[in-house]
Amino acid sequence: MKTELMLFWIAVSLYGLSTFSYIFGLITLKDKLFTIGLFSALAGFLPHVAVIALRWSATGISPFISISESLTLGVLMIVLFFLVFQFSTKKLQPLGVLVMPVAFVLMGWAATLIKEVAATLAPALQSGWIWAHIVGATAGFASVLIAAGLGLLYLLKEKKSGGVYDKLPSLSDIDNLSYRFIAAGFILYGLMIVTGCFWANQVKGTYWNWDPVEVWSLVSWLIYGIYLHLRVTFGWRGGKLAWYAICAMFAMIISYWGIPFSVETFHSGFRIEH
Amino acid sequence: MKNIITVLSSARLAMALLVIILACCLSGVTLWRGAEAGRMVFATLWFNGLLVLLVINVACCFFGRIWGRTVTVISFGMILFHLSFVTMFLGVVYNSLFYFRGSLRLTEGETLVSGDPQSYDTCEQGKFFSFARLKGETTLIKMHVGYKVAGDDKRVAYEVAVGEHNNKKQGLIYVTHKLSHQGFDYFNDKEGYSLLLVLADHQGKELYGAHVPLQSIPVGTTGRYRYVTGHRERDTVVADFGPFPAPPEKPLFALQTAFEPSPLGERSGTVTFMAHPLDGAGNPEETSTLTRGKIAIGQPFSLGNSVVIPREMRYWVGMVVRYEPGKAIVLGSLWIGLAGMIITTIGRIVRKTNQDAAQLAGL
Repeated sequence: MKTELMLFWIAVSLYGLSTFSYIFGLITLKDKLFTIGLFSALAGFLPHVAVIALRWSATGISPFISISESLTLGVLMIVLFFLVFQFSTKKLQPLGVLVMPVAFVLMGWAATLIKEVAATLAPALQSGWIWAHIVGATAGFASVLIAAGLGLLYLLKEKKSGGVYDKLPSLSDIDNLSYRFIAAGFILYGLMIVTGCFWANQVKGTYWNWDPVEVWSLVSWLIYGIYLHLRVTFGWRGGKLAWYAICAMFAMIISYWGIPFSVETFHSGFRIEH
Repeated sequence: MKNIITVLSSARLAMALLVIILACCLSGVTLWRGAEAGRMVFATLWFNGLLVLLVINVACCFFGRIWGRTVTVISFGMILFHLSFVTMFLGVVYNSLFYFRGSLRLTEGETLVSGDPQSYDTCEQGKFFSFARLKGETTLIKMHVGYKVAGDDKRVAYEVAVGEHNNKKQGLIYVTHKLSHQGFDYFNDKEGYSLLLVLADHQGKELYGAHVPLQSIPVGTTGRYRYVTGHRERDTVVADFGPFPAPPEKPLFALQTAFEPSPLGERSGTVTFMAHPLDGAGNPEETSTLTRGKIAIGQPFSLGNSVVIPREMRYWVGMVVRYEPGKAIVLGSLWIGLAGMIITTIGRIVRKTNQDAAQLAGL
């Protein structure tokens, strides 16, 4: 636990450094700070992976059972998507301005809740469906968070010019990229809901119970469904959808981490009555 | 008629319905909790009417627009996605007409007639479901505690036999594993202790015996439970006295028993008991106590002119029996919808790539 905690806090610290580099980079418009932000995120990602690997190898229990583990895995997916996207495009340097603060806050929250690895896995969680369910949820959240980050860049570029803003792709390209990440998030959230239905059906014999977590997932999915219809059917583009993507992300955070661990739901318990 | 079809085919109506359903879902999970949310929103006729209207709107709006057009990869994906809503709806309607859901409670060794509605604690069924579909009997052979599958602790498993003598199926039920027989699925739900109480005279002649299911009451936040005779009031269990012998026999006393498991043996432990006489109306006279004490399982205690023996401890289990012929359609539709989303996205990526390539070639 000692090594694990140390690695955890190193990851949190590096994500913190990345966060402040991005924020000050945006304030001072210095490219170097964005580079520091990006490489701090990369440096933080390594101990982050090590923490999850250590916990997983200690008992063999899937690393997303407690709220702390769920947050940690979710942030890992966020940073992974962010790094892959950043190193593959290299044109959207300030993207971390929204992504890394969210990753840092969620990781810091996880650090305050960290506990010893569970000794046993609740029988309801011993299902193959849970893997696809969790991958869909975490990757979906990472996608829509990046879409929201792109929305923020769109709004900044729309209002400001010079320096780093001039190096960003055109407004329509940013808008299009944001849309693609939303579409990916919509599919991944769809995967989460479908596999969640199959999982619930395997455990309880019902695929849908109007449980608060299920409803919030549906709400999140509908929010992005409305986004896609506004764009495809009604022709919305640009600033309005950028604001929409940013606001929708907060609904996501509530849906993903606010509800399952604060309200009595199918997800919070998995208790077996005697 | 034309006006109605125009309204139903409107994309604005689709958007309005999505927003209204979204708002209803949000209020359903923020203003109310649990069953209350169902009563106020999710199980209401008006909310389900909105869902039905959305499906009709999706069918009219989307298929009205796409009808007669050339099918591309993108539109094919969108057809699948929107079609999945319609098939899902048809699956739900079909299921609602023929479904059966019942809650069955059995003590180890007990057999109940599957097709008798009286066998179920609660049951509900669709308009066209016939109990004749439920053939034969259901028997709980044994409950296994600490059951493991490939090293995974399943905690408990119910060994159950269902069906008729010439078409019987026996198997184990545990979380993530159901027993299926002739279209009916059997799921585990809850379990508890069941105490065999025998009433005898002082000469040892047995007069009556019955299994008394005990309820579990959490002891604070210790993670431990108290197992006691009682009943459930909404979501909580209340300890109380039960008539003994139980009706239809003539009750002689009001008896409360509590079981404390022994760490030394799975079904061993001590029983705490207390009995009151009954008044003329059959209610316990709580001001007068006939007997109280604590004994080990198998030991007798005197009660008036008789002797009561808590002879053995068995387990009772609560199982959920389901027959849902429309579920396969609904679950299949989910995959179709997901496939539709993926195909549309691939189609859009390919189109954009081709457009970019064409632009580059033009330059």
